[in-house]
Amino acid sequence: MAVETVKCDFKILILATISGGYAGADSVGQLHTDYPANVYVLPVVCPAMFPEDFYLRTFERGIDAILVMYSGTDCPYKGGAERTAVIINHVYPLMETRGIDTRRLRLAAICTVCTKPFLNEVIQMNHVLQEIGPVRQKRNVPVPV
Amino acid sequence: MPDKEPLPAEEIRIGVYTCQCGGNISDVVGCARVVKAAGELGNVVVSRTNLSLCSDAGQALIEADIKEKGVNRVVIGACAPSLHEQTFRGTVARAGLNPYFYNHVGIREQASWVHHDNPDGATAKAIRLMAAGVAKARLLEPLEPIRLKAQKHALVIGGGVAGLRAALDIARRGIKVTLIEKSPFLGGHMAQLEQVFPTGDGARDLLKALIQRVVSHANITLYTQAELVGVQGVVGDFTVQICQQSRGISDDRVTAVNVVAPANLPDEFNYGLTTRSVLYQPYPGCYPATPAIDWAHYEDGCLELNGEPLHLQNKPKTFDLAVGAVVVATGFRPYEPPIGEYGYGVLPEVITLPAFIRLLALAGEDERLEFNGRAVKNIAFVHCVGSRQLDGLNEPQPDGQVNDYCSRVCCTATLQATNELHQRYPAINVFDVYEDIRTYGRGHELYYNLASENRVRFLRFHDDELPEVLAAPAGEEHPALVWVTDYLTWGQSLELPVDLVVLAVGMMPNPVDDIIKLLKINAGSDRFLAEVHPKLRPVETAVPGVLLAGTAQGPMNIQESCAAASAAAAKVAVLLGQGYVELEPFVAIVNPALCDGSGECIKECCYEDAISMQPVMVNGTEKVTAVVCAANCAGCGVCVGACPNRAIDLQGWTLKQYEAMVDALAAEDLFALELA
Repeated sequence: MAVETVKCDFKILILATISGGYAGADSVGQLHTDYPANVYVLPVVCPAMFPEDFYLRTFERGIDAILVMYSGTDCPYKGGAERTAVIINHVYPLMETRGIDTRRLRLAAICTVCTKPFLNEVIQMNHVLQEIGPVRQKRNVPVPV
Repeated sequence: MPDKEPLPAEEIRIGVYTCQCGGNISDVVGCARVVKAAGELGNVVVSRTNLSLCSDAGQALIEADIKEKGVNRVVIGACAPSLHEQTFRGTVARAGLNPYFYNHVGIREQASWVHHDNPDGATAKAIRLMAAGVAKARLLEPLEPIRLKAQKHALVIGGGVAGLRAALDIARRGIKVTLIEKSPFLGGHMAQLEQVFPTGDGARDLLKALIQRVVSHANITLYTQAELVGVQGVVGDFTVQICQQSRGISDDRVTAVNVVAPANLPDEFNYGLTTRSVLYQPYPGCYPATPAIDWAHYEDGCLELNGEPLHLQNKPKTFDLAVGAVVVATGFRPYEPPIGEYGYGVLPEVITLPAFIRLLALAGEDERLEFNGRAVKNIAFVHCVGSRQLDGLNEPQPDGQVNDYCSRVCCTATLQATNELHQRYPAINVFDVYEDIRTYGRGHELYYNLASENRVRFLRFHDDELPEVLAAPAGEEHPALVWVTDYLTWGQSLELPVDLVVLAVGMMPNPVDDIIKLLKINAGSDRFLAEVHPKLRPVETAVPGVLLAGTAQGPMNIQESCAAASAAAAKVAVLLGQGYVELEPFVAIVNPALCDGSGECIKECCYEDAISMQPVMVNGTEKVTAVVCAANCAGCGVCVGACPNRAIDLQGWTLKQYEAMVDALAAEDLFALELA
């Protein structure tokens, strides 16, 4: 089964909790469901560990979008989900002041079996990037398709 | 905290290994390109690919590189880390390296299996992910696992044969067990069977002996009408909340209770073939013997004691238990066909195989088999109902998925039923209508042979020409007709006049979404609970300390359920038997030189006594800084995000490691490597 694919050279970083989003991404793989190859998933214990400047730095390095796939109410760590939401809310105005479109950052609750929500987030973010373009002008280097 | 002497810097020599996973990765990802690209990354001294790195030969390759080529950091691109991260940590440790000088990169589930039609994109992605893995590996620090005392106490959820078997096997190894069963009685679906294949033993006899051993074992505590409602903690030290419903009436009063309300409730034990009272036992000899109140149908005044109305209330009690491991044995439910599937729910003469087994049991020594007051002379069995379904052809379940799996046990169970039928009622004509018959187990084929000898008429249909079950015209001798195009007779259309149609329904998992959420375990696309790896870790879930037993995991017969239960019990015994468990050392750590003592980390930390402010010596000067108590730290990293000075970090998952990984993922000079 394949979901809608988009041809693009944007880079989407997913910070996915080991107990939720990362396992969800693995579940998508176990279902052999295709999605765009511009998505890089890094496992995290809980995204509350990332301070606001981590996100800004990541955009500055050229990552076009960040999906924070936390465990929401299923977060195994006390206060982890709430603290993550607080930090992300702090990041948005900082992005605005730097001219970074706030749609480039999304927080989504993804569980171990949330295969469809995972795919929806990936597809939606790709559509957003098609609309708003890269986070900064890139070099003239050929891009693999 | 004393100042640490800085260790002499060693040369970082990274070995990068790209697993082909027997083609699972290399069929899509260009492993040679990944090897070449990784070999050009800084500090990488070895870059290889191998057909199967988790094999003995693959692991030996890595060990040899560590010993002979001086590799001191290892990066492996392979399947999901939940499968083989521990395997490779062991590999690294055996070669003499600290096991945390190893970084696992998932390029199967997150590259080759999700970019089938884009091998170049999958390869480029794998290269970037491996580069990120190398970037992290450069910053790895040696770590030691945290050893915690483990509760020598296990929780088993489910009082069917798998749960009973698991509980007994765990208890025999000297570990305390609490067994909870949601219903009022033990035994599960096995109690509804008469004979079991392939031995022909009486199901109740086997069950009774097992229950007797369970309830008499000193290490086992049993709660019926009890459910899991809360879980906290980690492997070795879970706190679970159990909620138990009231039984209703105590043993000393139950014989004096008079049931006023009519016994007109459908008896689910007999699939509605009989009725029961609001105060009931499923069958004589059940355990516990005390009848239970059906609270869903209880009304005040429906029971009397000594002529006076009884006023009962269900008062659930909730209590906590400290356990080190949990075995989930929540079992299955038979597939319930939708109204109209093969006439089910439309024609009264269409019943399921489990109901037919109860019909035979209820018939006892009767000379003839009757159904709905009519003697059964012709009977048809239809296989694969609710199993091996096809999208677009079968009605999906509420989640939109059809049951595309084989339920495995129904073929032999059907043949056993036909043989028992022939033995007891040899005059009945039996038609066995099937698409395929799979008698896969040892001794199961004998049931097929015996059915043939018993003159069961086999008729084989194709999945695009399913049989039809219709009402016979009024006045016909037999009330139902089965139309089947039979490919054993080269496609003849046959009409079978029958008195009873038995649908060999498959298995579905019991609905346990609440338990899945509480334990944070996974279900597969077939809705059965998922193991970490079907071959290598077949009874373990992705949550350490949570194990699976029996048909909660997939269709199994009793023999297989018991084997799985014993395997889960063995895992529990190994896990808890030593009295301690080792946890990952991924806890917070403070750099006292950077800590200004503001306490922002403590404000955000939700774990009692995980961080405290204490005086420490820094460069010969005493200052008050945050200090982490590793045993109380959950390793969530909330404190890391709160610290304005980056003075606190998470061992094994540091911010600098993440920044290095991001840099690798974003690096523009990697494009050249991807295109090479």
